[in-house]
Amino acid sequence: MKIIVCLSTLLLVSAALAAPAPKEDCCKEAPPSAGPISARSIYQLDATFRDDADRPVALAALRGRPVVLAMFFASCGYACPRLVTDMQALRGRLPAELRDKVAFVLVSFDTERDTPAALADYRRQRALDGAWTLLHGGKDAVSELAALLGVKFRREPSGSFAHSNLITILNPEGEIVHRREGLEGGLEAAAQAVIANAAHRR
Amino acid sequence: MKLLLSLATVWFAVVAGHTAEMLRIPAGDYAPPLRAAGEPERVAVAAFALDEQAVTNADFLRFVTEQPKWRRSQVSPLFTDESYLGHWAGDLELGPLAPPGAPVVRVSWFAARAYARWAGKRLPTTAEWELAASAGFTRPDGKNDPEHTRAVQHWLSRPVPAILPDTQSARPDFHGVRGLHGLIWEWVEDFSTAMVTGESRADSGLNRDLFCGAGAVSSRDPGDYAAFMRLALRSSLTARHTTTALGFRCAQDLPLP
Repeated sequence: MKIIVCLSTLLLVSAALAAPAPKEDCCKEAPPSAGPISARSIYQLDATFRDDADRPVALAALRGRPVVLAMFFASCGYACPRLVTDMQALRGRLPAELRDKVAFVLVSFDTERDTPAALADYRRQRALDGAWTLLHGGKDAVSELAALLGVKFRREPSGSFAHSNLITILNPEGEIVHRREGLEGGLEAAAQAVIANAAHRR
Repeated sequence: MKLLLSLATVWFAVVAGHTAEMLRIPAGDYAPPLRAAGEPERVAVAAFALDEQAVTNADFLRFVTEQPKWRRSQVSPLFTDESYLGHWAGDLELGPLAPPGAPVVRVSWFAARAYARWAGKRLPTTAEWELAASAGFTRPDGKNDPEHTRAVQHWLSRPVPAILPDTQSARPDFHGVRGLHGLIWEWVEDFSTAMVTGESRADSGLNRDLFCGAGAVSSRDPGDYAAFMRLALRSSLTARHTTTALGFRCAQDLPLP
């Protein structure tokens, strides 16, 4: 019985994701590109997240804009604050007309503590504006996204996370076009990757 | 009695779309071969259900028949590499290199996970898999079962055959599980954490900036050579990798639904 329920849920979810993103889930500024999702797009991932306003978000809702994405956890004391600062600095390197057209996305590893409400607190603390999307996901969604991006992470006995420090740049189709690894340098190259891919927008 | 049992198994297979019978693995603990600093020596593992045998070519064929996006010609290159199901004769044809009863190999972690979800199950964690694999033929602690230890080491010393044997050809272990050793390597849910160890943010080590928290690892007695081999294999994989000797089996929480 459970299996049948799981299967039908899966079918419903796949059907929902296979269809073009419904209007209400879609991004505010740019409509999603038409047509099927490219084979190399991470929007192939059948996973739904929740944003910090507790709304369901399919990753494909980001389609149509370049994306600067990192995985993090809100209670991280060392690397994550620097990742966010670096994403802000990267935004500062973009031409003024692009700064509000690029999506900045943070996805948490911490499926338990980083609830939508905790992420809303984080948004306030870090004064992140509407260009930022903060996402909470279930274990499956988080581990599959991490695997797609090449982010390794592991919950430690202390409850914090050991994790790769990675900023990923996606083109408007959701294909990975640039990866900035580590915490030193590389911001200019990442900004140039965003600019180059923003130019391809329809 | 035996006949009744097999009839029941067949019936279950028809209903659920897969042939694996599940067996109960009692609660126990797992001692990782490598530990992060501050990590306990043993990790408690709750009782769980594990497939009696690895997922077979026939099982996987049913899955790709129902889920076209996992067929060889249609799968996204994000989720598998080029050798995905490369030994099958076609999208929906097994052929001579992939006997129906042999474990399916050349499947990625993404594909294994998708299958498990389709079957209403999940992949076992490393701790669960290793707990199950620590059983011998005749006793729950395989390391004290010399016959079992010899069999495992004998397998490690042999090359993988071009055509894999039937999953039922493997001798059942103490819990009745077949082929955890001796047929193929198997995916686990958290394979990618194999080398993610340590809490050493105070270090100025090489990986500190690339990897938050990477560092000190304390090694346990390396007596269990096979466990080290599995650790090395897991840490060398990425989620879209496929190899000629890497398959999987599914697990489920207890009690079963």
